Amino acid sequence: MTFSSIRVARSVALPLTLIVVWQLLGTAMGNPRTPVPTRIAAAALQLTASGDLPLAIVQSLGRVFAGFMIAAAIAVPLGLAMGSSRAIERNVDPLVESFRPIAAIAILPLAILWLGTGTPAAMLIVAYAAFFPIVVNTIAGAKRVSPTLLRAAATMGLDHIQTIRTVIVPSALPAIGVGLRIAMGVAWTAIVAAELAVGAKAGGGGSGGIGQMMFVFYAYSIELNRIVVCMIAVGLVALVLDHVLRAGLRSLMPWVSQ
Amino acid sequence: MLGIGDTHRRFSVMGNSQRARRETPLGSAFAYLRTMLVFIAAWWAVSMWTSNPVLLPSPFAVIAAFVELAGDLELFKHAGISLGRMVLSLGLAALLALPLGLFMGLSRWFDALVDPVVELLRPISGIAWIPLALFIFGIGNALPVFIMTYAAFFPIVLGTIAGVRSVDRRLVDAARTMGIPDRTIVNRVVVPAALPSILVAVRLGVASSWTAVVAAELIGAPSGLGYAVEWYRELLMTPQVMAFIATIGVLGYLSDRSLRMLAQRFTPWASDASTAP
Amino acid sequence: MTESAVKLRLDSIGKRFDAGGTVAVQDFTLDVARGEFLVIVGPSGCGKTTILNLLAGLESPTSGTASLDGKRIGGPGPERGVMFQDYALFPWHTVLGNVEFGLRHGPAGNGLDAAAREQRVRKTIDLVGLKGAEHKYPHQLSGGMRQRVALARLVANEPDVLLMDEPLAALDAQTRIILQDELLRIWGQDRPPAERRTVVFITHAIDEAVFLADRVAVMTSHPGRLKAVIDVPLRRPRGDATRADPQSQALCQHIWSLIRDEAYRATVA
Repeated sequence: MTFSSIRVARSVALPLTLIVVWQLLGTAMGNPRTPVPTRIAAAALQLTASGDLPLAIVQSLGRVFAGFMIAAAIAVPLGLAMGSSRAIERNVDPLVESFRPIAAIAILPLAILWLGTGTPAAMLIVAYAAFFPIVVNTIAGAKRVSPTLLRAAATMGLDHIQTIRTVIVPSALPAIGVGLRIAMGVAWTAIVAAELAVGAKAGGGGSGGIGQMMFVFYAYSIELNRIVVCMIAVGLVALVLDHVLRAGLRSLMPWVSQ
Repeated sequence: MLGIGDTHRRFSVMGNSQRARRETPLGSAFAYLRTMLVFIAAWWAVSMWTSNPVLLPSPFAVIAAFVELAGDLELFKHAGISLGRMVLSLGLAALLALPLGLFMGLSRWFDALVDPVVELLRPISGIAWIPLALFIFGIGNALPVFIMTYAAFFPIVLGTIAGVRSVDRRLVDAARTMGIPDRTIVNRVVVPAALPSILVAVRLGVASSWTAVVAAELIGAPSGLGYAVEWYRELLMTPQVMAFIATIGVLGYLSDRSLRMLAQRFTPWASDASTAP
Repeated sequence: MTESAVKLRLDSIGKRFDAGGTVAVQDFTLDVARGEFLVIVGPSGCGKTTILNLLAGLESPTSGTASLDGKRIGGPGPERGVMFQDYALFPWHTVLGNVEFGLRHGPAGNGLDAAAREQRVRKTIDLVGLKGAEHKYPHQLSGGMRQRVALARLVANEPDVLLMDEPLAALDAQTRIILQDELLRIWGQDRPPAERRTVVFITHAIDEAVFLADRVAVMTSHPGRLKAVIDVPLRRPRGDATRADPQSQALCQHIWSLIRDEAYRATVA
């Protein structure tokens, strides 16, 4: 056995053991509804083949991207402004810091009140959730720009806007990237939560998305295996989103050692 | 043409404190009040303009609702329940995550074994567990506590591993050169040295758990702040909804603040970086 | 030196990191006499720290042996106390807590009850000149004070041998001079040679080496090898007058001439 195959074996040892034990215990319980790996796999195949799962994921992703873009479009410029001007920061920061501890999901009832139980409310929640990590990290990134670089820019005669564009933004890019990655994770969690809650309150009616699908499986068809499929899908999508975002950011910032 | 003096004045770059005016506590309190007053004034103006008390109640209605809810103790009842759940969840999560994180940080072998399971479960947020958990626990106290414990678990275990791994190697070497046995080194060197990072991890766990409390109570509990928000929404009593939302925010902020102060008290040697938000 | 006077022996010792990787130290042979103050000097990266780690038992040799009093060194222990360049003080303990750490939790404190322990700790703190600072934390101390604490922590365990890895490198030039004097005082340069402990001291500063040492071992790098061992017959006790002594300066020049080329090569590609 080569060294790396020992490594691989050790990595899968515990998960594999747990899955096997789970399978054995679950089937021994006798209830055909109990979620076990084999039934979950079957359910996964069914849901994917029927197109239900991919559709739900796409619906949720669509909302996440829309909300995320809105949040980024507001938070990045705001964060840069706040990070580079003490005056702006002093005036805006109290608002940001007052709302930051209020989780997006707490705003959901308000969002439903204002926008109904559809996509706009979900997007609002996502945007709200994504806003704070982005703005906080962008401020930190803008603040950490080396004063030496700023002085160098000044001695080369750059004006305010040019300095922001050519010095502050590139310097702050790694921190902005961190904020975007955190925000993406938060946004994905938020959409699942929002769709779940909306599904619970709107009685399973059509807002679509994976969160709502999960709730339907719980409340209406009591399909536990399908619920688990959705949970795994949620996890996988989160991983993929993070990897894609990380790769995209890396290509944007070739000068940063990862 | 931007001169160097202009640079210092316009750009609030850290480390520039000689030229920049330092923020006094009084000054920042004043700025805070000023901004919030502007916000409330704008809110009031918009609420008058839309004049729909269900859609956007005036700030005074919200304050009145807040006072009323505090007066008949309903606010405190729900707040107490939610906080109680959070404390319980945190205790459970810490009980599981701290020893696990410690072992995983100390032993590469053990880490390689357990880490795949942790990394497989981590992307599945606590909230995704709600339907399954609803089925297992039903609506009640157990559901929020389960979800919140799960949510707090991962930040704590990951932060503990990182904290243990980042312990200065030289401290361990110094203890070894004094002939101190390995088990004592873990207790007396590694744990104290990792404590600042572990406390940061616990703070993140609290934040994660508090976020989850709202989702969990909104969907699956008969009491607590999340439940109260939803209850009043169904009654279309928006001022009360907002009052509870504000309470959620304030309590979240206070929890974090008090943990930060505790960390400052118990680990006064920790640098600012490790106590940063 | 006679066999019984040998405290530490490095016999053709070699250290290679990662099979097939860089050779840090090669074929290094040196005896250190009892009560001697030996300084190892050489350019950065020449393997001085590796030699110290081998003596401390923090690393094991890939070839050759290191022994103390004729017995092979198998691992770290309080009889070979170590002082690190960045002090490695425990930030959660006061000065008192740091100094008593080895006595409290390690074998050096065996047979000492709490009262005896406290007495030794206080005496040591007094010896290094930190009386009054017992209840301060490291982050409240200056660099020079921290170094004294590190020394006290080490000396409290009453080691046979003191191993010091560039302990004064992080200090400014003036503090360094003061602490060099203090180091010699605490080592016992005013006392008869029989009462002095054995010291192996690492530095890259030649003037420091000549000022402190009975003998200076000069190392070269890539791979780390012993180039020469120079006697330093300057009279003890040493002080500012010693630094100005022409004999001391001549020794510095001689040692410099041995490593100058290498030092130059390290600054070009």
